[in-house]
Amino acid sequence: MIAPTASRMLRAELRRTTSVRMWWALLIPVVLLALSINVFGGVFSSSLSGLGGETPGVLLASLAYSLSLGSVFAAVHGAVQASGEFRHRTITTTYLTGGRVPVLLARCAVGAAVGAVYALGTLAFGLVAGLFGQGSATFPSPGPLFGLIGSGIAVCALWAVLGVAVGTLVTNQAGAVVLLLVYVLAIENVLSLILRSGADAGLGTGPPAIARITSYLPGNAADVALYDIPAVELAGPRYGNQAVESLAGVASPPPGWACLIVLALWAGAGVAAAWVVGARRDVT
Amino acid sequence: MQDHSGRIAVDGLSKRFGTVEAVRDLGFTVEPGLVTGFLGPNGSGKTTTLRMILGLVVPTSGTALVEGVPFETLGSPGRVLGAVLEAQGFHPSRTARRHLLVCAAAIGVPDRRVDEVLGLVGLAVDADRGVGGYSLGMKQRLALATALLGDPRILVLDEPGNGLDPAGIAWLRDFLRGFARSGRSVLVSSHQLAEIGQSADRVVVIHRGACVYQGELAGLGGGRRGRVLVRCAEPVTLAQALVAKGLMEVDTLPDGRLAVGGADAVLVGDTALAAGVAVYGLVEEQVDLEQLFLQLTGGVAG
Ligand SMILES: Nc1ncnc2c1ncn2[C@@H]1O[C@H](COP(=O)(O)OP(=O)(O)OP(=O)(O)O)[C@@H](O)[C@H]1O
Ligand SMILES: [Mg+2]
Repeated sequence: MIAPTASRMLRAELRRTTSVRMWWALLIPVVLLALSINVFGGVFSSSLSGLGGETPGVLLASLAYSLSLGSVFAAVHGAVQASGEFRHRTITTTYLTGGRVPVLLARCAVGAAVGAVYALGTLAFGLVAGLFGQGSATFPSPGPLFGLIGSGIAVCALWAVLGVAVGTLVTNQAGAVVLLLVYVLAIENVLSLILRSGADAGLGTGPPAIARITSYLPGNAADVALYDIPAVELAGPRYGNQAVESLAGVASPPPGWACLIVLALWAGAGVAAAWVVGARRDVT
Repeated sequence: MQDHSGRIAVDGLSKRFGTVEAVRDLGFTVEPGLVTGFLGPNGSGKTTTLRMILGLVVPTSGTALVEGVPFETLGSPGRVLGAVLEAQGFHPSRTARRHLLVCAAAIGVPDRRVDEVLGLVGLAVDADRGVGGYSLGMKQRLALATALLGDPRILVLDEPGNGLDPAGIAWLRDFLRGFARSGRSVLVSSHQLAEIGQSADRVVVIHRGACVYQGELAGLGGGRRGRVLVRCAEPVTLAQALVAKGLMEVDTLPDGRLAVGGADAVLVGDTALAAGVAVYGLVEEQVDLEQLFLQLTGGVAG
C-alpha cells in the first residue's frame, strides 16, 4: 500500500508543480545571477588574492557564492509551492485526493528536486560564464568540481525542503516568503554578528563556544558546506578553514559534510513541525 | 476496518470555533442507494459538518466515519468519496485539464478518465483554458468533474447548485438521482428546500448546529395533512354540518373563510350541498414544505 501511495503522490505533486509557471519563473533569476556572478568572479578575485588563491579556486568560490544565492530561490520556490495551496484554496482538493502527511512528504521531495535543478542550472551556466569571463580561469579539476556539485545540489535541495516547511507552517504566501527572505538576508547575519562579537571579548585562544554556534545556523551551515571545497582550493589545506571563516562569516567551522548534516537536521526539524501543525489544522 | 459499504455515519459530532458552537451533538447516517439532503439556513453548520466528515476540520468531539473509518485513514480516498465543497479553489493559471491530470495522478486513475469527466460535465470545449477565466458555474462543474474522477461510491456536495444555470441544476438533480439509484450514496447540502426537495429521499435538517429533523421528506410535515378552504354564504351552518360529519378540524380564517382539516374538496362540497349552503369558492391547500422548513429553522413564521 505504501509504495503505490508514494508514487501516486509524487506524480501528482510533480504535475502540480510543473503545471504552473513558478518553477521556471524563479529559474530565470537563478541563471541570470549565476551568469553575472561568475563572469566577473564575484568579489573573490580581488579580495582573496592575498590568500594565495589560484584561478580554479576563484571560479569554484564564485560558483559556491552563486549556489548560496540559488539556494535562497530554491527555498522561496518551496515556500510558494506550499503556501500557494492555501492562497488559492486548492489545499482542500489536494487533501481530499491524498492524505496530509503523504502530500507534505511528496511536496518536500518535489521541492528538493526543483532545488537540485536550480543547483545544476547555477553550476552549468556559472561554469560556462566563469570560463569565458574570468580571463585566466581554467576548468576546475574533477575532484573538487564534483564535490561542489554534490554539496550544491544537497544545499539547494535541503533549503527547498525548509521552504516547503515554512510555507506549510505560515500559510499566508506573502508572509512565508517575506519571513524566509528576512531571515536569510537579515536575521541570520545579525545573529552571526552578535554571536561572533563574543569572540572579540574572549581572552582565551580560539573563539569561544558561543561564536562557534554561527556555523550551526541553517544559512551559515549551507555556506560552510558550499565554501569548504573552494576554500581549500583557494588557500590550501592549511588555511582553508580561515578562508571558510571569512567567506561564510562564521567562527571555527566544522567540516563541510558535518554542516550538510546540520542543514539536514534543520530541514528535518522544519518538516517535523509542519507535519505536527499541518496534521491537525482546520482547513475551512 | 473499512467496510466498502458506501455509508457515512456521524455520531455525537460537535465543533466549536472559539466561542461559536458551529455544530452541536449531531448524529445521522447516509445510506447507499439514497440521496440524503442536508438542509439548514446560512451559518447553521452544514459546511463545517461536511468538512469534518472529510477530515478537513478536526471535531471538538464525536466521530464522523466513512465506510466505518475516519476519512483520513482511507487507503485511496478519491476512489471512495468525491466531494464538491464551498471555497474549493483552483489555481487561476492552471487549465482545467491540467488540474484534473494532477488529481488523476493523486487518485491513481488513468489519464483518459480526465476526458471522460470533462465530457460528462460539459467542459470538454473549455478544458484547455486557465480556470481563472471560468465563470462560477463552470468552476462548479469542474469541481464536480474532480469529484467524479475516481468513480467513487459516495458523493458529498456542499450547495452544488450555486452558480449553475437552471438547465445545469436540472441535470445535476437527475445525475444525483441516477448516481444513488446505482446503489451509491449522495449527501447534498442546501439552504433551500426547493433545490433538494425534488431529488432527496431523506433529509437531515439542522438549525444552529443541531439536528431538528431527520427522516423522509414527506414526514417533514409531521403528519399534517392538507386543508380545504371554503368561501360560503353561511359559514356557521356549514361548520355545524361538517362537525356533524365527524370533521373536527374546522377553523374560521380571518378573511371569513372556513379551513377544514382532514377532508378533501369533494367531501366539503357534498356536505355544503346537503346543508343547503351556497359555496362561492373551494381551494385545496397542500402542506407547504417550504413553510414548514422555515418554521423548523426559525425563519419566517408560517
Ligand atoms: N474557520 C472558522 N472560524 C470561526 N468560525 C467559523 C469558521 N468556520 C465556520 N465558522 C462558524 O461556524 C458556523 C457554521 O458555519 P458553516 O459555514 O458551517 O455554515 P453553513 O451552514 O455552511 O452556512 P452557509 O449556508 O452560509 O454556507 C458559523 O457561525 C460560522 O461563522
Ligand atoms: Mg456552507
